[in-house]
Amino acid sequence: MSVLANKNTRVLIQGITGTQASFHVKRSIESGTNIVAGISPRHGGEEHLGIPVFDTIREAQRQFSFDASVLFVPANGVKSAVREAIEAEIPLIISIAQGVPVHDMLEIKSMLNASKTLMIGPNTPGLITPEEARLGIFPENIHKKGNIGIISRSSTLTYEAVLETKAAGLGQSTVIGLGDDMIVGSDFRVMLNLFMQDEDTKAVVLIGKADNAYEILAAKYYASLSNKKPVIAFVAGEALPYHNYNMGYASDIITHGRITVSDKKRIMREAGMTVVDNMGQIHQILQELQL
Amino acid sequence: MNIHEYQAKKVLAQYGINVPKGGIAYTPAEAKRIAQKLSSRGPWMLKAQIQSGARAGGHFISHDAGGKGGIRLVTQISNVSYETSQMLNNTLVTEQTDDKGKRVNKVYVEAYKEAKRLFYVGMIIDSSIPAITLLISDVINEDIVKLAHFNSESLLRLNLKYDSGITDEQIFKILDFLSLDKEYLRSFHDFLGKLLFTFINLDAQMIEINPVGMLTDKKLIALDAKITFDDNALFRHPDIMKMRDDSEEDDRVLKAQRCGFQYQEFSGTIGCIVNGGSLALEAMDILKSKGYEMACSLNVKGGVDKDKISAGIKIIMTNPRVEGVFINILGGFLRCNLIADGILAATQDVGAAIPIVIRFEGTNKDEARSILEQSNLPIMFADNPDEAIEKLLKQMEVND
Repeated sequence: MSVLANKNTRVLIQGITGTQASFHVKRSIESGTNIVAGISPRHGGEEHLGIPVFDTIREAQRQFSFDASVLFVPANGVKSAVREAIEAEIPLIISIAQGVPVHDMLEIKSMLNASKTLMIGPNTPGLITPEEARLGIFPENIHKKGNIGIISRSSTLTYEAVLETKAAGLGQSTVIGLGDDMIVGSDFRVMLNLFMQDEDTKAVVLIGKADNAYEILAAKYYASLSNKKPVIAFVAGEALPYHNYNMGYASDIITHGRITVSDKKRIMREAGMTVVDNMGQIHQILQELQL
Repeated sequence: MNIHEYQAKKVLAQYGINVPKGGIAYTPAEAKRIAQKLSSRGPWMLKAQIQSGARAGGHFISHDAGGKGGIRLVTQISNVSYETSQMLNNTLVTEQTDDKGKRVNKVYVEAYKEAKRLFYVGMIIDSSIPAITLLISDVINEDIVKLAHFNSESLLRLNLKYDSGITDEQIFKILDFLSLDKEYLRSFHDFLGKLLFTFINLDAQMIEINPVGMLTDKKLIALDAKITFDDNALFRHPDIMKMRDDSEEDDRVLKAQRCGFQYQEFSGTIGCIVNGGSLALEAMDILKSKGYEMACSLNVKGGVDKDKISAGIKIIMTNPRVEGVFINILGGFLRCNLIADGILAATQDVGAAIPIVIRFEGTNKDEARSILEQSNLPIMFADNPDEAIEKLLKQMEVND
């Protein structure tokens, strides 16, 4: 088992003919991902990397059903691509591009709220269930099948977390990059819930950053759970000087009050998470858990 | 992207929001001419145009500036050009700038508007709900982040629906919070409605009117204005993009922006090149635990062009405060070998006189390492950030 995607997940690629999409789709197919079709306007009827291409999702749905769609569309096209996927009732959307306007995300979030679709990203490496499904741009050579779930608010620190599980002699059930942007489709809570229910996940590594209030929401949610698996957490940016806070961070301090990295760490500890001050400590803690 | 107060007021006026009359002056004589045109008797406000709040409480570095701040009330026309000359081409330091301050090269001259009462209005995005949040406070001229941090109760926060705007019920809450009676409903509705429309229409991330003035006819007026736009949405707003003032930005920041990267300055001695903002945060935390600080960081996330990467790396290597460079690349989308090519090209131009430690992981890491090993550059490698920073600090000691 795993969460959200496995080898049977039928994957659609929106924007399949682009350069970056081609590079990564090829690697995903090679690592066993079940990619069934692609979308690329004006390329309908063609084949790309051996995958049939359609102009619209509706047309593709006449022949196929999809469990997930990975968006390789550029930032300014994300809103309409997400809308198309939501209207087609695809359960999971993963959007890779960085630079989606914040107001587009406000609109996307209200569309998502009115639907059953779950969105990961934007600005994410995606999701990977090692040896089964690579939905995004993860470097697949560092992953190994196992029982640690990873949820991260930082693309690159996700890889760091993967390497820590490897150093502990463990592998990953599923690795999820929530996205680096100020507003992303899903926060930690949805993913924590999925990992708590997943039989193959024994512990979760959670990576946060000096940014908005997502880590605090995660801590409060975790505290409320009756059945908890261990969560090992790291929050980057304790040393960040006040005047270097970015816009998103500043605005969530304004709306939520004090949320420094040390506040976040304290609240996460109080919620029962094991919080480390250096990512390099994660593998030791994992080993001590004796999973 | 931020714009100046005078530009923000022009934008607000286009959306029907009441602002004082004013004009922008680049010389003392110009300031006087504008003042005379605005009003025959005054008083006038002279406002230094730098992109920073807390200008009134700031101070100029030079003593010629008369020991006053960057916002001045002038009652005699004869003083307008004198006071303007004190501010122009002087550097203003405020609570929100760093110690270096910002150079004032234009002054906004306004007709002074007498207000019965002043209060703060802000609009920002709460990313965790998410929603647009309206902020109201009786405390004015205070940095809003500080206010929220230390005096959270003095702020009224109301979440606005993206599509339905501000409700009467919310306006009544505001009036109640400010202890105003219901007859102000219409003027608040008008002012805040227009502000929200501006916020949404222009892809703003933050608008602050600090303060709003209440006039005797119950109308509201924006006595100050600050707008921050979403950089990612500027492609939809070419008119706003033209308002960018490059003199507000550090040269290195601009150079990095031209390559599509983010560059940030801090106060330490170690330069850091990463692909992802959080890797810089992580490095900063490790450095701090060892008693060091970062000088600057460059985030080359999304880079696909060798020349741009090389140009970016040069920005760090040529920063005179940088005594050592830590490069941490976790290849995924970005391939490590591209960074190696970029480093090679950069060192051919500017050399490699300071210690460099690199950690490559992920896509094409072995290829990247062998490219640099073959070059015989004095570059060290490490397998993780802790080890990399330790090696770097050790080498920096040797160089001392």
